[in-house]
Amino acid sequence: MQSATGVTHLRYRLTESPELVTLITLIIIFAFFSVAADNFLTMSALSNVLTFASINGVIVLGVATLMISGEFDLSVGATLAVAGYVFVIAINSGVAPLLAAALALAVSMGLGLINGIVVTRTGIPSFITTVGTMLAFRGIARAIGGGNMIAYTGERPALFLILNGAVAPLNEQFQPPANFRASTVWFIGLAAVMTFMLMRTRYGNWVYATGGNPGAARAQGVNVARVKITNFVLCGLLAGFAGVVQFAHRSSIDQLRGEGLELVAVAAAVIGGVRLTGGVGTLPGACLGVLLLSMLEQGLVLMRLPIQVFQATAGAILIISVAVNTYLSHRE
Amino acid sequence: MSSNGDDVPVVRMEKIVKRFGTVVALDGVDLTVNQNEVLCLLGDNGAGKSTLIKILTGIYTPTSGRIAFYGAPVDIRTPAEARALGIETVYQDLALVNLMSIARNFFLGRELARAIGPVRWLDMRAMNERTRAALADVGIHIRSASEKVEKLSGGERQSIAIGRALHFGARLLILDEPTSALSVAETRKVLTYVTSAKERGLSVIFITHNMHHAMMVADRFTILRQGQLVGNYAEGEVTQDDLADLVMGQREV
Repeated sequence: MQSATGVTHLRYRLTESPELVTLITLIIIFAFFSVAADNFLTMSALSNVLTFASINGVIVLGVATLMISGEFDLSVGATLAVAGYVFVIAINSGVAPLLAAALALAVSMGLGLINGIVVTRTGIPSFITTVGTMLAFRGIARAIGGGNMIAYTGERPALFLILNGAVAPLNEQFQPPANFRASTVWFIGLAAVMTFMLMRTRYGNWVYATGGNPGAARAQGVNVARVKITNFVLCGLLAGFAGVVQFAHRSSIDQLRGEGLELVAVAAAVIGGVRLTGGVGTLPGACLGVLLLSMLEQGLVLMRLPIQVFQATAGAILIISVAVNTYLSHRE
Repeated sequence: MSSNGDDVPVVRMEKIVKRFGTVVALDGVDLTVNQNEVLCLLGDNGAGKSTLIKILTGIYTPTSGRIAFYGAPVDIRTPAEARALGIETVYQDLALVNLMSIARNFFLGRELARAIGPVRWLDMRAMNERTRAALADVGIHIRSASEKVEKLSGGERQSIAIGRALHFGARLLILDEPTSALSVAETRKVLTYVTSAKERGLSVIFITHNMHHAMMVADRFTILRQGQLVGNYAEGEVTQDDLADLVMGQREV
């Protein structure tokens, strides 16, 4: 920092907070679509960006927290499907909606607990473990659903509106109508609580230490295995919650639901500055990553480009953002 | 503890055996650290120094053997239990989390928190201030406690790890190869912390390869070779060359 010229200072700032890189990228993409895509600068389109980001975002909060503690979870998409099936089957057999939701969340936490115990007890890398449980959980979802789509056709209970109802009074203010939903409120609320947890609580300190240098954390008395197991359970819980919230909107669940979400979640976290090796990253950064991907998808749809263009662009942004962060962190 | 008198050893490890599968890492080793003493634990790579220390700090469980702390038998199963006894360890590579701030490292595992009802949050200001003050107290001056450890030099990192151990009321300070990666000037500084720890009434186990560093600070030497105890020697009883020969197994004294 001796030669504090503008350029080195900027680079220093960017190294310190990789989420700034994400924010700048987000602004560039926003500016691009504002010009290039018709109707992008409408509340209808922008609210869609938020609404689509919210379900994925809830999952990313768990995945990113787990990644900061140095582990992976590729089974979240399958967990979402299991939660959806448990929820609808319980409701359809007459269980009260709130109880059905609690049951779905409990099952999701159980699945996360399985991941956490297998990883910490056996030492099998979580990447391998959760590819295994991804297949196994998907199998569970198919089995309990009998391989079929299951819908809820009764009257929509109040819980559905609380979880993911359309915010009608707000949406009607705009022409064409906007698409704000309650899921966004849940996402923002959870993001705020979990950001506080990671940045300002003792547990958060242990999460960063566990991912940053597990040996040092252990030597200072941090129970590294318990931190990891807790984060796996949290990851399962949030994936299950995302499944229940999504169901509250669509009222149906099928056996492919959530497939591929695990990779979107990892991609969003990495674009947002979370490092694969653990110990680095923030939840606001990961949220920006989700928002960026959602905006990209919405913008390309409005430009009437096929979905493959989105996938290719998202992949390119993922690689570029990792390259930029790697370049910035290897300064000297 | 005062009821035990001043001549009770801080630590007495007896007939410690540690096997990893069929490999015998320690074969019935004894180790004693007296009060207010700097003990240098010497030995070549693979002699069993680190294994012995990791047993004392609760990272490994011994296959057999006894440990007494101030005369009382103890069973140290986790690092937290070792710490509760007042055993603080500075490992050469496991000292600090480089990606975290100095203060967050300093208080890792015993963070200061404030609470309203069930909501507890870190008292960052108090942690930053106390970190600065505590380090200054042992002669370590830092620019800012919120600076990340990765920005510091190897010597500065080692100083902070030692300063942390001194601050948290260690009765026994264990330094595992603290000078192995340091420059000459940084090494000299670290050696002064060993002396100042002793002046504060602590006992120190100083593990090193470097006979010269050992000669500069030690009251006593314990030498291991291939998992076995070679011997204990008081300061002045052996020369630097003697130590080197004992470590290498070229002669007995």
